Amino acid sequence: MNQSLRLLIVILPILILVFFAKVLLLDEDIKFSNFESKNFPAFELNDLNGDPVKALSLDGIKLVNVWASWCITCLVEHPFLTKLGEKNIQIIGLNYKDSDFKANAWLEKHGNPYLFSIYDPRGDLAFDLGVTGAPESYLIVNNQVVGHIQGEMNQTKWETIFLPLITNAKQGS
Amino acid sequence: MIKKSFILFSFFILSPPVFNQMVYEFEDSLQEKRFYSLISEIRCPKCTSGSIASSDAPVSRDLKNKVYELVLDGSTDMEIKTYVSERFGNFSDYRPSLEGPNYFLWFGPFIFLALMLAIFFVKRRV
Amino acid sequence: MIGEISHFLSLSAALLLSLVLIFNLFFFFNKIHQNQLTLSTRLFNQACWLVFISFGMYVYLAISDDFSIAYIASHSNSQLPAFYKVTSIWSAHEGSMFLWIVFLTAWSILFINSLDKKHPLKKLTLLMLSLIILGFLLFLLLTSNPFERILPFGVLEGADINPVLQDPALAIHPPMLYLGYVGFVISFSFITAYLLNGNFELQWEQDIKNWSFIAWVFLTIGITLGSWWAYYELGWGGYWFWDPVENVALMPWLAATAFIHSLFASSKSNVLKTWTMFLGILIFALSLFGAFIVRSGIIDSVHSFANDPQRGLYLLSFSGLITLLALTIFAYRLPLLNSSKLVVTGSKESFLSMNNILMVTSIFSIFLGVTYPLIIESISGEKVSIGPPYYNTIFAPLILIAAIFIMLSVDALWQRSMTLKTLFITMVAPTMASLLSIYLIWQATNIFSILAYIGIFSGSLIIFSYLFRTINKKFINKGSAIAHVGMGLLFFAVSMNSILSYEKNLNLAPGQSISVNESVQNFSFKDIRVFKASNHDVISAQVLLLQDGKEISLNPQKRKYATRGQITSESAIHASVLKDTYLTIGDQLENGSWTFSLKINYFIKWIWFSAALMVFGILLTIFKKKPS
Repeated sequence: MNQSLRLLIVILPILILVFFAKVLLLDEDIKFSNFESKNFPAFELNDLNGDPVKALSLDGIKLVNVWASWCITCLVEHPFLTKLGEKNIQIIGLNYKDSDFKANAWLEKHGNPYLFSIYDPRGDLAFDLGVTGAPESYLIVNNQVVGHIQGEMNQTKWETIFLPLITNAKQGS
Repeated sequence: MIKKSFILFSFFILSPPVFNQMVYEFEDSLQEKRFYSLISEIRCPKCTSGSIASSDAPVSRDLKNKVYELVLDGSTDMEIKTYVSERFGNFSDYRPSLEGPNYFLWFGPFIFLALMLAIFFVKRRV
Repeated sequence: MIGEISHFLSLSAALLLSLVLIFNLFFFFNKIHQNQLTLSTRLFNQACWLVFISFGMYVYLAISDDFSIAYIASHSNSQLPAFYKVTSIWSAHEGSMFLWIVFLTAWSILFINSLDKKHPLKKLTLLMLSLIILGFLLFLLLTSNPFERILPFGVLEGADINPVLQDPALAIHPPMLYLGYVGFVISFSFITAYLLNGNFELQWEQDIKNWSFIAWVFLTIGITLGSWWAYYELGWGGYWFWDPVENVALMPWLAATAFIHSLFASSKSNVLKTWTMFLGILIFALSLFGAFIVRSGIIDSVHSFANDPQRGLYLLSFSGLITLLALTIFAYRLPLLNSSKLVVTGSKESFLSMNNILMVTSIFSIFLGVTYPLIIESISGEKVSIGPPYYNTIFAPLILIAAIFIMLSVDALWQRSMTLKTLFITMVAPTMASLLSIYLIWQATNIFSILAYIGIFSGSLIIFSYLFRTINKKFINKGSAIAHVGMGLLFFAVSMNSILSYEKNLNLAPGQSISVNESVQNFSFKDIRVFKASNHDVISAQVLLLQDGKEISLNPQKRKYATRGQITSESAIHASVLKDTYLTIGDQLENGSWTFSLKINYFIKWIWFSAALMVFGILLTIFKKKPS
């Protein structure tokens, strides 16, 4: 009994040390995020042109990007989104708590990487999606939300979080 | 004068058109207690740490309003927490559910205590 | 120039300490040099002084606005009052680490020189302290250098420090806390030295007793200040959130509290020696763990410094090394340390053993709560949140058990069991009185909460135990009684606060008023004033409350700071004996009205008072002269 206690006094701290070293060395951005996929929430909203958005438009592999004209960080990720759009990634915007006038002006000024943007001035759809602010991005595969990135989208996040999910989805179909 | 209104303007937010002097009105004090208790147990999705009760972030405000609606609607605490978790993830509940590995969390300290007491009574030497 | 000298002095201090270690290592393998200890002590003292002078110069750099030093430039500003220029030094990682080292050094130099030169443990303790100080100095100089320059000319003006940090309480909170944290390096090093030395006939408790008690006082004050500051500054009306950073300060405190009790038993009755030694090591190990958690950014907390894995790894490795060193020696010597005394059930020793077990269980619970999210996330990627619901549920029964044991132990005897009669007499009066209190409170408030009532009962049990004992004119150690009553009062006040406090959210336009409830008969929003202050714009609401027949004027504010554009909220607090009226202003809505959050917090003053009682009680035991 005494012998095992003595060993425990030394082994336990070592185990704790090793555990924390392991956690430390795991990069923050690339932390394995077990995201539980769920259905894309039902909604009845228009796009920024005033036309109703059809649910079918979320078939296939889509990137839903939460943005707003008041969001400064959205400007930071904008070039990357444009690049993604050029690579034939389908991006749908979710205009969050914004005025349609200001939103359209923003797109005019900075360019429009989106197929279209859902106009969500009250943030209802955003709330159901679990949006915490702008910018944020969701990966949708056949109307299922399979991935979520908080903060601006960049090369690293795209490659480590969304790309593997897209590859999985393509293999599955 | 212009400066004054400019300063005031910087604290402005969009708001719903309803003007109620009591922001959260309840049918009885039990509902009220439930509401304040719930919002202290729901984590702010945007903050590094803290409940929505202590947060002023827009998403926290939205959550508080939603919880208020649901409490008035008659939803139970469980239903409300599930509603929030479905949208913001399990991590939004500061009270971990009693399932799976969480058993170790909730009972761990007492198992530890029992073990230590057992060793003490067996050995009886210090 | 001064910056370079200061930097050089710190480097030299590190060098000297290395010399001390190398020198002694050399002579470990050869014959002992006759002046080894004298020389080592001299070098050690010189190294300590170099650290002090280096820091003194750094303070001068801060006061004289040397913005060519990167750290000072990013945390201070020429417009700050001199006091805040100094306190800005410990407002972030590098500077606060420097302060930590200064305190570490201060404790060490005082303790080492208090030991007689013939003291058998002096050399080993000195070596241990040298190793620890050196490790932190290297950490500072290699990974967190406060002396880095902005070349070639520095900046003209510093960034304003976070306005939230320009506060007297927050300025003293880190120094108090650090003094407490690092004060236990003394017990850590001395006990390790004792174990290394191997002569177990030596008495060691007396040498570190007062040092440990004083460190405990600082730690208690430090934690209380942090809690108090959070209460009046952060605006949510709470004082403790079981945030990871609060938790890593609480764990050493619990270990320290267990330690001072165990030390008492160990010196009085020759029992619990191994427990005491283990606890003496554990406290500083937990302080190191705390420093690691806060500074590595590994856990999300409002309080954490920036994320830096490199620093985290260094701290983890160094802390791990030191702790393993101490624990390995402890484990190695364990067979020789065990006393052959059997603990009698119902004796004072048995209660003190229980106390240790309970404290360690509390520490385990907090540790579990802090690391559980990390463990789960690394296994399944799932994110779990642990907060007040968990800790309150776990601590309620632990506190109850502790209270019962405190009640029973007040009359317990050394090495003898209590008679059943004594047990019964000890139990009856406090238990009855506590149950009566619960009943009265329930009748008066009509509120029932199991966790809170456990807290109220526990607190009452402790308070009544000491009360009845005093009434019965039995011998009582005044300091101990006051400290324990303070503890009981804390449980009581915290629990009462949780059942009675409430919040109301209001929405009023200037000129409007509303009747809130029976207590807050009228809430009148008189006016909103806008003006400019030194480095910020202010919006101040003029509110007049009619509460319980009394008129109270409250002026909550919102401030926008010029340099960083940061917006802060200053709550208005009216603190009376039974409750605090806590008013925060929210945002302005489109129609010109403002939102307010009115919180009525009960028994807040009692919480601060209970901490003061605990500190006062302990100080009394340290400084009270023993009857001749």
